[in-house]
Amino acid sequence: MEPSQPTPPVELILRAQRGEPDAQRELIMAYQHRVAGFVYAIIGRSDSVEDIAQLIFIKMVRAIDRLHAPAQFESWLFRLARNTCIDHLRRQKLRRIFTPFAPEHENVPEPAGAVGSEELDALRHALAQLRPQDRALLALVQEGRSHAEIAVTLRSSVAAVKARLHRAREHLREHYQSPHEN
Amino acid sequence: MKTETRAWAQLQRHASAQLRPGFADRVVRAARAGAEAAPSLLSIFALSAATAALCLLAVTLVNTSSRDLDESDFNLAGWQQIAADSEEFAVNL
Repeated sequence: MEPSQPTPPVELILRAQRGEPDAQRELIMAYQHRVAGFVYAIIGRSDSVEDIAQLIFIKMVRAIDRLHAPAQFESWLFRLARNTCIDHLRRQKLRRIFTPFAPEHENVPEPAGAVGSEELDALRHALAQLRPQDRALLALVQEGRSHAEIAVTLRSSVAAVKARLHRAREHLREHYQSPHEN
Repeated sequence: MKTETRAWAQLQRHASAQLRPGFADRVVRAARAGAEAAPSLLSIFALSAATAALCLLAVTLVNTSSRDLDESDFNLAGWQQIAADSEEFAVNL
């Protein structure tokens, strides 16, 4: 993922908090690609990216007036995004209990090569083997967030974040097989 | 790990490509439409309170009427007993 871009000016966030549609639109445009990448890393399905990104930004627009520290906007937004993705995966799991369809019918996997290069397929495969929480952690690192920022986002300690990150990276390495290495 | 970095960049590009043009406008419109259509907290509270009051009223009415019926049956049985006793007393005289 692209490294994190500069935080939008506090003035823009304050205007969005006052309910100005132009400011809200500008904020969405500033973050939509990063949030889409973040969502895809956790969900792993191209066809859900836009819907979930839309849900995240609708929640952002409705709740931004409750954000007390505009300087913490990014941490807040990515916490919202992470929680929305994990909720979506939980709901999907629950729905499978009540629907007569088998998981393979409901969740037809994207065929290898259909979404991009072999490198991307290898990464998608490796990410799919991890827990959603670990995928979110790795996606936050790819976003360029520091350990301290991730700790704020996950409401955890820096030491806990480092330990979890170490384990998540180990798991990713176990499953990631670069096409060039084969 | 260079290939992994490239793969993350591809993942980001692929995900970005899933957003159709006009995404931000659609989101702002949907957020506003939803906010207008959504009932306010006060109205949700008022509806809940009215429903609870109706339920309480219905339970009280049913309870009172069934208690009245029981009481009437009890009184009737008492009077029937008195009538029977007095008849028996009259016959014995």
